[in-house]
Amino acid sequence: MALRVSSLFNQSNNFTRFRLTRFFADSGKNIKDSDQVSTDAVLPKKLTVALVPEEVHIAQKTRQETLAVVRENEDVGTCSGVPEEHIKTRTVRIYCPAKNAMQSGTNNINYWQIDFDTRERWENPLIGWTSTGDPLSNLQVGFVSKEEAIAHCNKMGWKYYIQKPNVNNPKPRSYGINFSWNKRTRVSTK
Amino acid sequence: MLRLPVIKLTAGLQNGRISVARLHTTSSKLQQELVEVFIDDKPVQVPPGTTVLQAAAKVGVEIPRFCYHERLAVAGNCRMCLVEIEKQIKPVAACAMPVMKGWRVKTNSDLTRKAREGVMEFLLVNHPLDCPICDQGGECDLQDQSMAFGSDRSRFVDINYTGKRAVEDKDIGPLIKTIMTRCIHCTRCIRFASEVAGIDDLGTTGRGNDMQVGTYVEKMFLSELSGNIIDLCPVGALTSKPYAFVARPWETRRTDSIDVLDAVGSNIVISHRTNEVLRILPRVNEEINEEWLSDKARFSCDGLKRQRLITPMIKINGNLEAVEWEDALVATARAIQNIAPNKCAGIAGKLVDAEALVALKDLVNRLGGEILATEQSFPKEGAGIDLRSNYLLNNTIAAVEEADVVLLIGTNPRYEAPLVNTRLRKGYIHGEQTIGLIGPNVDLTYDYEHLGQSADIVTQLRNGTHPFSNTLKSAKKPLIILGVDQLMRKDGAKILSETQLLAQTLGENTKAPEEWKVLNILHTRASQVAALDVGYSSTIEEVKEQQPKVLFLLGADDANIKREDFPNTCIIYIGSHGDEGASIADVILPGAAYTEKVATYVNTEGRSQQTCAAITPPGMARPDWKIIRALSEICGVRLPYDNLAEVRSRLEEIAPHLVRYGAVESANYFAQALELSKQVPGSLSSDPLEVKQETLDQFFMTDAISRASQTMAKCVQAVIKQRESNL
Repeated sequence: MALRVSSLFNQSNNFTRFRLTRFFADSGKNIKDSDQVSTDAVLPKKLTVALVPEEVHIAQKTRQETLAVVRENEDVGTCSGVPEEHIKTRTVRIYCPAKNAMQSGTNNINYWQIDFDTRERWENPLIGWTSTGDPLSNLQVGFVSKEEAIAHCNKMGWKYYIQKPNVNNPKPRSYGINFSWNKRTRVSTK
Repeated sequence: MLRLPVIKLTAGLQNGRISVARLHTTSSKLQQELVEVFIDDKPVQVPPGTTVLQAAAKVGVEIPRFCYHERLAVAGNCRMCLVEIEKQIKPVAACAMPVMKGWRVKTNSDLTRKAREGVMEFLLVNHPLDCPICDQGGECDLQDQSMAFGSDRSRFVDINYTGKRAVEDKDIGPLIKTIMTRCIHCTRCIRFASEVAGIDDLGTTGRGNDMQVGTYVEKMFLSELSGNIIDLCPVGALTSKPYAFVARPWETRRTDSIDVLDAVGSNIVISHRTNEVLRILPRVNEEINEEWLSDKARFSCDGLKRQRLITPMIKINGNLEAVEWEDALVATARAIQNIAPNKCAGIAGKLVDAEALVALKDLVNRLGGEILATEQSFPKEGAGIDLRSNYLLNNTIAAVEEADVVLLIGTNPRYEAPLVNTRLRKGYIHGEQTIGLIGPNVDLTYDYEHLGQSADIVTQLRNGTHPFSNTLKSAKKPLIILGVDQLMRKDGAKILSETQLLAQTLGENTKAPEEWKVLNILHTRASQVAALDVGYSSTIEEVKEQQPKVLFLLGADDANIKREDFPNTCIIYIGSHGDEGASIADVILPGAAYTEKVATYVNTEGRSQQTCAAITPPGMARPDWKIIRALSEICGVRLPYDNLAEVRSRLEEIAPHLVRYGAVESANYFAQALELSKQVPGSLSSDPLEVKQETLDQFFMTDAISRASQTMAKCVQAVIKQRESNL
């Protein structure tokens, strides 16, 4: 583990970055990638066991490990191409969307969502519409569970907080109490 | 328009929705006698007496409805919730029918669908086809349900017949627009008015096709909660007057936030577009505001656009003139320069957030000042603000409805905290609550025992010499709510101490559970609890006595602060609105209103919540803590935080509960607070207890935002007009 992490930090060269980016950019080429990896791995054995110095051998091995680690490593944010500004400085809110107060339907709210802190918006002088420099202002992602949302934020390297969901505790309702003669629930107006 | 859910939930949330395991709070005996019914062949165990509709909701089957509402009495008159039950000839109304053992409910059978289609057809026969010009369009239950459950063809061929039902519109006040032709007679507004708002003004007249919902006589529907009937109306019969023809729901952006116009901390949704707040809607939070919102919180949002401070200003030759930020900050720093220790003070206003409070406290302390005051002073005798139990609504808002005997002392919860009053009314109606009031004889929307207006009665209740004390002492769950305004009286500390003694006596007598807290203080200002939490302990009088060289008014607009009292003081106003405070200032630094900043507020029960920035502050205005931070740098006493996260970690350092959002940090040390308060000298004065807001017209304009709101001004006028008429 320590080796894996240190290799990620110490190397931090373009090569690693490049490979990581490629891996996440198009998952369709996964197989091809892994083929390459395997040829890389095979090559030194065949040709250069004697020729290649020990250090290079170790370095290559480390590199392979780094590559292998990436698949289980969660830190996608740093290599996703998203500017660092939008990873380090953003706060994500994980929440259950609230029911629209104007309507009674509740079937469209039973999921978790993430959204980002609001950045400045301004009126565009050309046409009067509202502009923003924030590429994430319209990003809202839905998740089945809180844990999934948290995992996603961790993976992307976003800071997040979880908004407490509303707990609904329906009270029993009865038609009869409208007409009970000795209770204050008796309905006066109809 | 029917929107499909983004993700249908199958895992994670129970039954497809978040709910606690049991539907009823019944005894364990009843729990055992659950009835099994089958909703669309899905078995579900429910307590006896549960309606079909609730049982269906438990397994995530939503039955369409118009008249049924979770928080109102069952009416059963729209018939939209008809469902088929096996071996029964006729469809039954799911909202009113209790389940029987072994029933097989079919919510999607041919019979059910035919019944819904029929109901829909009848509703639409008399409903105008004016969706394109209707404000409810896009968030209309009738629109959605006619798409989902209505017939796909019309049998209304008689287009030349002029007899389609038309109803005259009613004028029920400056907030609610009525288009009564659209009414489908679900009677939700009537039930809300009589059950929750407590004014029986709405009702039906006529029968059959001639039935009308209205006030019968020409009368306005004036209540502090009237706006909620706009939400409740499933069609466009009742819509918001200030929001009429302003926007469609799909073109606005919605930001979840917190209301700060009273100390309840209602959860709200801010609808905004093009950097303008268009409307404010309630957001369900069972622990605070349920589904309701007071009119001040809902309709005063137009005050956010008026009277705003948009540039920094400096007083030059007696006139305030707009300047750049640099000039204003440098001018302020010059005034602060070489200030003697303890010649700097701050007063915090009603709407200030915890971040700004902490930043100002840090700045003033670094400048050698110790005096930090709130507009509303809190007595220092006894435990003062050192023990939180002294100044919180300790028992939480949600638990108010569980009490069986409530004693209100010097408070009018109806206008000071309308959503606490709805809890009291709920307890009164559903829990047979007994309520006693010491204070002016006001209309609380429910019957209460008026014990008098003198502060002595608290002592009498404790001694048992007052007739109400027997009721109070035999209570299983007694509750005392003390209005915080009473603590500003000269004998405020004594009132608090007497109330604490009474609370302790009651607490010892009852068999209420350990976590039941008898003593509760009801606040009226959103900033107050946070200010007391971080240590704003001084009073305005002390500031006046001290005569500081530099005085910071952090959104302080109290009429008590006058220029004459500070002849040689440089007054620096930091705030959002040009109100009383700005008019006496030498330097004005424009701050952000609550819709424009991410900020922490602590409500009266000690629950910290945060607002989210919906829009950008207008002009050159900035969030308050950033202004103070910038000023500190120029003054040479740099505050050690540069971003919100760092400010919040400073907040956490001072009081960790300030950043535990959504959770109530309950107070303790009642006994110690009591011991300390026993040492309070003096006696109760014979002055009667007064409240600031006695009638509805005094409710609407209480702070800089609502004072700037035209809608609120119209409401005040309407109330006065109504009072002059004899209806």
